[in-house]
Amino acid sequence: MRAIAAIVRGMFLELLRKKDFYVLFILMLVLLGFLSAQTFFDIEGISRYMRDFGYTLVMLLSFIVCVTFSARQIPSEIESGTVYPFLAKPVSRSMLVSGKFCGAVMISAITFTLYFGVFVLFCFTEAGRAEAILLIQSFLFGIMFLSVASALTVFFSVFLTTSANVAITFLIYFFMISFSDLLRDAVLAGKGIETLGLGVVYYLLPHFDFFDLRVRLTHAWDPLPLWVVAAVTAYTVVYCAGLLFFAGRLFGRKKL
Amino acid sequence: MESVIEIRDLFHAYGAGKKKWEALRGITLTVKKGGIFGFLGPNGAGKTTTIKLLLGILTPQIGTLSVFGGIPAIPRTRMKIGYMPEIADYYRYLTPGELLYMYGDIFGIDRKILTGRINELLEMVGISESAGRQMRTFSRGMKQKVSFAQALINDPDLLILDEPTGGLDPIARKKMREVMISLRDKNKTVFFSSHELSEVELVSDRVAILNKGRVLKEGLLSGFLSAKGEKQTLEGYFLEIIEGSEKG
Ligand SMILES: Nc1ncnc2c1ncn2[C@@H]1O[C@H](COP(=O)(O)OP(=O)(O)OP(=O)(O)O)[C@@H](O)[C@H]1O
Ligand SMILES: [Mg+2]
Repeated sequence: MRAIAAIVRGMFLELLRKKDFYVLFILMLVLLGFLSAQTFFDIEGISRYMRDFGYTLVMLLSFIVCVTFSARQIPSEIESGTVYPFLAKPVSRSMLVSGKFCGAVMISAITFTLYFGVFVLFCFTEAGRAEAILLIQSFLFGIMFLSVASALTVFFSVFLTTSANVAITFLIYFFMISFSDLLRDAVLAGKGIETLGLGVVYYLLPHFDFFDLRVRLTHAWDPLPLWVVAAVTAYTVVYCAGLLFFAGRLFGRKKL
Repeated sequence: MESVIEIRDLFHAYGAGKKKWEALRGITLTVKKGGIFGFLGPNGAGKTTTIKLLLGILTPQIGTLSVFGGIPAIPRTRMKIGYMPEIADYYRYLTPGELLYMYGDIFGIDRKILTGRINELLEMVGISESAGRQMRTFSRGMKQKVSFAQALINDPDLLILDEPTGGLDPIARKKMREVMISLRDKNKTVFFSSHELSEVELVSDRVAILNKGRVLKEGLLSGFLSAKGEKQTLEGYFLEIIEGSEKG
């Protein structure tokens, strides 16, 4: 545990001192600029539109921070040669993978909290009780979304270059957000061997769509029932644990 | 005397198929406890490969090796090993103090002991004045000093150094020799690879000469220096052995 905490602390220090920490602020300015445009049009329809795009923007921007940050952790350890003195110490390779994952999730979660806070301040100034619960759920889902994103990117980073990793993760994200429903329908409607193939693909792909509460939030629908929250949480835990397990295994076999 | 490192018929190849390259072709070596062991050989001889195997970073393909009687791939075995790599560009945005603190945490060293030890080590390698600076501002030699300091953070019983003197000034080299000798005096073991044969000559008790993945010679340094009756430098002996093996 102390080893993981040590890795996380190192990542934080590095982030705070690196100039590319400001990327976070630039993205924040994008968000602020967009959201503050709302105050000029105080009409019902527009504010719904603002919620819709505001939420999408918050998720997308935190996703960008999360993926780019997670993707370069292990490759940069290898490139700088710091993996060697690290792995010469009494820690397993899985420990390094887990430490990098934890650090990336924490940093993404902090970023997300900032962005989400700004979003709520602008778009939900007078939220009712139901809406408040839905917002809390969206916040939790956002953190879980970033955890899955980070686990996936850390997993890819064991065998892909950073740029390939980022590209693939983004493709998967847009695919899942846009076509997950279609894929599910195809799995449910199909027959025989090809459905089996599709089914495997459907269940293995990271379901970023599970965490997307955009529509519900925009239309101020009721909060999710508790069992859905529990199911999605279980999904996140299992999916992340699985990815980290395989990442540790693959990294363990990697020739350094 | 008990042995700290035991290597038996060790082979190691990189790559596979046509690209396969045999870096180690049957190495057998024993390093006893206490003493300074120089591991010599020309570029590409397999020194770094052997060291990576000793640290469990690579796994043996054929043959066996043990360190402190254990398998290096098991983390616990590495508890009392200190390692200074050939090349490492340590986290550029951290200070040396932060780096040592992070590594101390990984070893699980008591926090109270750790802070004192970090100051001592930074003082010893002569960078305590720059202890608060980020390492991206460091010269090559300063980074080497940090690298040496981090290898000592766990007060190791076995110190493995891969070409430690590169980029170091004569004062720092002398300091490093003193540390190696003081470790030997405490009955600890130092295993180091080097091309600086004059350096090796000054401190080693035993040496092994490696070429193309095989151990050509292993024994007491004093024995090699007086092998031909009259006194010889290590460099002279080394060249003779390597050139001899290239011809034969
Ligand atoms: N990752 C790798 N992939 C392929 N071949 C490698 C790899 N690392 C080392 N080798 C090869 O293995 C051989 C031994 O390399 P090694 O790094 O052990 O040499 P060395 O004795 O440490 O040399 P030097 O004195 O230059 O540091 C070399 O021929 C090298 O080309
Ligand atoms: Mg080498």
